Amino acid sequence: MEINGKYFRSFIEREEALKKQYSAERIKKQHSKGKLTAHERIALLFDDGTFEEIDAYVTPSDQGVEFGRMELAYGDGVVTGHGKIDGRLVFAFAQDFTIMGGSLGIVHARKIAKVQEMALKMGAPFIGINDSGGARIQEGIASLNGYGVIFNNIIQSSGIIPQISVIMGPAAGGAVYAPALTDWVFMTSNTSYMFVTGPNVVREVLNEEITSEELGGAEVHARKSGVANMIYDDEENTIIAVRKFLSYLPSNNLENPPVATYADETPGINPKLRDIVPDDPNKAYDVRDVINQIVDRNSFFETSELFAGSLVTGFGRLEGKTIGIVANQPKVLAGVLDIDSSVKGARFIRFCDAFNIPILTLEDVPGFLPGKDQEHSGIIRHGAKMLFAYAEATVPRITVILRKAYGGAYIVMNSKGMGGDFNYAWPSAEIAVMGPDGAVAILYRRELAEAKDPVALKKELVKKYREKVANPFIADEKGFIDEVIDPALTREKVLSAFSALSNKSVKVPSRKHGNMPL
Amino acid sequence: MTPEKPAIKKLYALSNEGRKFAFSLPLKNVVRVNGRDYSVELREDEKYGVHVLWKNRRYPVEIVRTKQNRYEILFNDISHTFTVETPVSMQRKKALGTAREKSTTLIVRAPMPGRIIDVLVREGAEVVRGEALVILEAMKMQNEIQSVVSGTVVRIGVRSGQNVMKDDILAEIKVR
Amino acid sequence: MKKITRILIANRGEIAVRIMRTARKMGIETVAVRTAVEPDAMYLSHADFIHEEDDELAEIPVFLDVEKLIAIALKTKCNAVHPGYGFLAENAYFAERCRDNKITFIGPSPDAIYKMGNKPVARQIAMKHKIPMAMGSTGSVANEDEAVRHAARIGYPVIIKAASGGGGRGMRIVRMESEMEKMFILASREAEKAFNDPSVFIEKYIENPKHIEFQILGDTHGNIIHLGERECSIQRKHQKLLEEAPSPALDEELRAQMGETAVRIARAVGYYSAGTVEFLLDSDRNFYFMEMNTRIQVEHPVTEMITGIDLIEQQIRIASGEELTLRQKDVKLAGWAIECRINAEDVQAGFAPAPGKIEKLSLPEGPGVRIDTGVRAGSSIVASYDSMIAKLIVTGRDRHEAIINMKQALDKVWIKGTKTTLPFFRMLMRHQAFQAGTFTTSFIEKDLDRYHFSSEYEETIAAWIATKLFTEENLSSGKPGISFDQGRELTPWLLRKRLTQF
Repeated sequence: MEINGKYFRSFIEREEALKKQYSAERIKKQHSKGKLTAHERIALLFDDGTFEEIDAYVTPSDQGVEFGRMELAYGDGVVTGHGKIDGRLVFAFAQDFTIMGGSLGIVHARKIAKVQEMALKMGAPFIGINDSGGARIQEGIASLNGYGVIFNNIIQSSGIIPQISVIMGPAAGGAVYAPALTDWVFMTSNTSYMFVTGPNVVREVLNEEITSEELGGAEVHARKSGVANMIYDDEENTIIAVRKFLSYLPSNNLENPPVATYADETPGINPKLRDIVPDDPNKAYDVRDVINQIVDRNSFFETSELFAGSLVTGFGRLEGKTIGIVANQPKVLAGVLDIDSSVKGARFIRFCDAFNIPILTLEDVPGFLPGKDQEHSGIIRHGAKMLFAYAEATVPRITVILRKAYGGAYIVMNSKGMGGDFNYAWPSAEIAVMGPDGAVAILYRRELAEAKDPVALKKELVKKYREKVANPFIADEKGFIDEVIDPALTREKVLSAFSALSNKSVKVPSRKHGNMPL
Repeated sequence: MTPEKPAIKKLYALSNEGRKFAFSLPLKNVVRVNGRDYSVELREDEKYGVHVLWKNRRYPVEIVRTKQNRYEILFNDISHTFTVETPVSMQRKKALGTAREKSTTLIVRAPMPGRIIDVLVREGAEVVRGEALVILEAMKMQNEIQSVVSGTVVRIGVRSGQNVMKDDILAEIKVR
Repeated sequence: MKKITRILIANRGEIAVRIMRTARKMGIETVAVRTAVEPDAMYLSHADFIHEEDDELAEIPVFLDVEKLIAIALKTKCNAVHPGYGFLAENAYFAERCRDNKITFIGPSPDAIYKMGNKPVARQIAMKHKIPMAMGSTGSVANEDEAVRHAARIGYPVIIKAASGGGGRGMRIVRMESEMEKMFILASREAEKAFNDPSVFIEKYIENPKHIEFQILGDTHGNIIHLGERECSIQRKHQKLLEEAPSPALDEELRAQMGETAVRIARAVGYYSAGTVEFLLDSDRNFYFMEMNTRIQVEHPVTEMITGIDLIEQQIRIASGEELTLRQKDVKLAGWAIECRINAEDVQAGFAPAPGKIEKLSLPEGPGVRIDTGVRAGSSIVASYDSMIAKLIVTGRDRHEAIINMKQALDKVWIKGTKTTLPFFRMLMRHQAFQAGTFTTSFIEKDLDRYHFSSEYEETIAAWIATKLFTEENLSSGKPGISFDQGRELTPWLLRKRLTQF
């Protein structure tokens, strides 16, 4: 083919027309809102020069052109394709707000569905960058059907390939369910919103004034609703984090997670671990300090940090290998389990199990949060999710009891009876049916009522209870704990235990699926 | 169309007092003060821990917290907080800064029922994000209730010694 | 009085170490008490014997438990007790219980402790002996009406103080009559909360004074001398941060006059042992008696450094009944000494306590530098006790040289693990008003716009560190390489499971 030939000329003309479409003016407009364009986001996400765009020249469906203004633009408001992240194949789409507000028409939907299906066929992770005004009104039902197809694809791929949603603009109405169905949701503060019904509808129906940020901003979803797992202040940091996050995850459910090169610099024996948990059982500490001393240096990536803070979840590495960490956080509400933390924990455990990520549980839990509010909102139902998720998980599961392990909450946190593979305890552990104060009050009710100095007697009894009952040694002798370990040796113990468990293979009874208490 | 990744040539460290320090990439072990370049080195050893070598003297360094692009660093016993920004994120900051000029009030509520042990701030006090406002004892544990925003305390809703129910108003903070 | 052979140290931290050091020099055995809060504290390693105290369930710290301490002293066969400072050091009842049990209390008589400890009583004694004082009420003030009458007589501003108080709690400054009712109730309530005694009294409030105190030594034979003054005006909320001896505000004449007054008040209560008489000095060189501390002070080293006298040794000798060999004319003040209290406090957060574990600790040494400390690397600064890490005492031929030496010594202190007051002292040594010596007790609250020193280059370097961390984490090729192939290598055992399961 000649370079000046007829065919080639129209090829070049088209290319120029496409370039013109993404004019400097459009880019500037997007930038003025503090946002990057779809192509800029894609460029940041993938390794340099590895992204291959598919369907760049498709044009919108001509349905409904007679109603309302509609642009005939290349790509139909979404960039789709594949590329490499850290050298690994990943499929992605990025909605382009500069083309018809990134609204979802039938062609737009088909483009997304196409890469979704490809990702599933190749067993490769899938990332969706959302920045869209919603369903394209002009295309009507066809556009709604498009959402249905996308949702269905996400659900069919769930548990097979990791799916990540990045919200970098509005996501309203039905569109919010696409991110909600994926495994992880990243949001950028101040410039992204998610809500089923927007502020205008709220104003009309409920006569309530509320801003988009207050109704469905990143902060709200990260703290209150738990919809957003990770939020960042700007788009660059969001995308850097997505790249980093992906490095913990395997491409699909048949692989093991990737392994980071590990320059042997984290000490196996770490005396610092002896000092973190205070002797006083009523004193709080930050369990992240414990986590950071156990995992490879700087490898802890906390998930859903701002939601249900009494339970810390996240990924870390042990000699380069990914593990999932579930830890009670004494710093927040004493580390109690409540509805939100149970749901957060359960979902995290199920993700780990689906993608062959071993789970390390660090336990310091005083119990479930008491009260009418929790009981009436169904702490029974929601707490059960955590139990279900743990017992169902076939990945290696290790528990280290740092301090409190009482009652029902002890059972939940991957106890031996629930199928924990190795259960360790620090010497500071208090394992019992209930805390010393409660136990003494029940067991010695009469003695305390008759005592001359009930306060002193109670103190004495509490001390005795701690010595005789609430300690790890009894559990150890009865075999409910595999070993009481020196905190300084925790990393070493956990490493060798996970290595012993690396070939763990459990035969699960065949069934369609269990009936998790949703 | 395969867009090129924008090469980052410069980084900015913004102090929480608003001072801006620019560094060119690749980052060299050099710090420029009053127009003169001095070499600087970040080291760690058994005897001194993490420290900086600067003009033949050691200065203690502690990396207190890092979160996203926010770094709290203890240098020579003084803590400094910076956010590290790229040219792109600087631009975004500018764009958002001019677009958003509202100040809202944040209401801090009790996360659980309990007893107020101590009120640590006064009405009219300036607080920063993460600063403890009150200490709430619940489940025999003392919980620091922290401000999630920086701003001015406009109202304190509790006294020390008072029992509170879940969602009782502890404080109101005017967001800065 | 009998010879002291074994001392129970009823205290902890640096003062326990300090006392044990002198006792050892004098050939006297010491007993220290191990507590549950600080089982590995440094002071324990300086004692000849350690008493194990199981105080985990105790309501009050053992160092505040009179009967328990007496029991320990008897059990460990101590014939003397040194209370240090704080805790029971100024508790007349404790001194009395020691006497009841034939244990020598290394300090003044219970009577002297009582008289000087009760502010209205001390004021009456001072008045009787014509000691210059700020005008005020003669005893406790019953109610706000009486307070208003007193204030009208002596003139505003006045200060309300707790009768059995100290350390700044229960104090309120009243500048006009309309404030009196509110402030009186506040002060009284605070006094009751802090000292279990709501009674308060009223004094003329002296604006911007200097805090000057005189070190007194008296024996049981009626000899009393003073060892010159200490300048303690650098204080925050009545907590001293830096002390020096002598004071740049005194000349020989004023020193002799104030010293003579200090000896006079000590004589009025038949004082023996080491003690401190505190004065306020106004800008017109008028001085007013404030109170007398009947114990060894935290800041005693600065006096030791310029007089060459070991105050703890003197306390022990006096307690054994020995007569002072020193006469007033023998006391010579030579050179200048400054003490910085290096505390685990966050200067940037308004001196908030910053308890933590001292990970690395290296303190300067050499001629002209003295360190009094009770911690070492690995020690914890616990929230239940004070936040002191070390006292850095530096001398020089004159004040100027002492400041230069202190500046250098401060730069040699290496503490990691907690925030400290070091940045404050670095700032102070460079501050003009400090160098000039013109500062008053309101210096920190009024004259400083920031509490720490940080040169521009420090912030630049910190910014460089932040940037370096950012590039290493996010941009550099140095971050861990990820191998996906390793994740794909599965053993046949796992492979079979994965393939059959799905």
